[in-house]
Amino acid sequence: MTGEIDIYGVYVPTLLALMLATLAVSLIVRRALAWAGFYALVWHRGLFDIALYVVLLLGVFNLSRWWLS
Amino acid sequence: MTFSLRGLARILVTLLMCVAAFFAGRALWGHYMSDPWTRDAKVRADIVGVAPDVSGLVSEVLVQDNQPVKAGDVLFRIDPARFTIALRQSEAALAGSKATLEQAGRELKRYEKLGDVVSQQKTEQAQLALDSASAALQQATAARDLARLNLERSEVRAPVTGTITNFTVRPGDYLAAGVAKVALIDTDSLRVEAYLEETKLNRVHVGDSVTIWLMGQPAPLHGRVESIAAGIEDRERTIGSGLLANINPTFSWVRLAQRIPVRIKLDPAPEGVNLVAGMTATVYINQDDKNDVSKNDAGKSGAGKNDAVKNDDGKHGDGAKQSVAPASR
Repeated sequence: MTGEIDIYGVYVPTLLALMLATLAVSLIVRRALAWAGFYALVWHRGLFDIALYVVLLLGVFNLSRWWLS
Repeated sequence: MTFSLRGLARILVTLLMCVAAFFAGRALWGHYMSDPWTRDAKVRADIVGVAPDVSGLVSEVLVQDNQPVKAGDVLFRIDPARFTIALRQSEAALAGSKATLEQAGRELKRYEKLGDVVSQQKTEQAQLALDSASAALQQATAARDLARLNLERSEVRAPVTGTITNFTVRPGDYLAAGVAKVALIDTDSLRVEAYLEETKLNRVHVGDSVTIWLMGQPAPLHGRVESIAAGIEDRERTIGSGLLANINPTFSWVRLAQRIPVRIKLDPAPEGVNLVAGMTATVYINQDDKNDVSKNDAGKSGAGKNDAVKNDDGKHGDGAKQSVAPASR
């Protein structure tokens, strides 16, 4: 974990990059869930999606930490 | 029946995801807000301002900018002509006072030999002349030593082992005594200072192992917490012209945790890492050696968050003191 990521000389907190990465991951996961028909089992789709995003963010965070350490 | 069961499952799945999201959010919060790490850290070193002890023209410069030097190496020479002349002058004066002393000694001996023929006053005067000549000799000796010291000090030497930086002295410059002209970075004093929020200090202990990421460096450095600053400036308070305390009357609704410098002693740096005083670093203070809970677990369970919150609510001034006490976990 370097705490920050270098974008052409601009150092931004890693969290920003992780959030963007998670956004991409969550789009894919949501597409896959919709394709599998999982959303029939979901009460509030919006609420579920935002919760999914936070969980995925932790996953991506731990993945990046494991990868970088 | 099938419909209501399905509805229950729908609610359950969504709620489960929300609960999971709550714990995930708390773990992330724990890492970013409570774990003792900071992006605000600098590589620092002590800087010796080397100043000539005597004024004069620089006659010779023996080092270059950014050159590593050892303690005792000559950095530059101040034109010694004036000091050589002064030394010769004082040596001449010394020889003169030596001669005077000898003459005074001979005179006293002569008067003493004459016994009662000369008055006692004359003998005493001779004794006085001898004593003052002896004192004058001592003075001349001291003046000679001083001249010799000045000549020696016209060679400016490095007081510590380090690296010269921003060196601009050229032959022909006139330097005044006591004005620092050379910045000598004491390489033995290279260290990292992490400016940690006071809310995180109670999870920092002297001796904790530390991982340091220098900005743009691919591999981390390691070190240990050496000490924690005992005090920082109170920004809300100045001393007025009447010597009374002048407290800032505006108290902000939004408060920011102040930064406390934590001094980190570096382990021997790996090959190829060039430490420059002033570099930016990101510092992680590892907690797994003292408390057997790993950093990851601490973040997940949210443990220690309460400590941090307590510290935030409580008196800010105690931040530094609390850090010395072991974690309440």
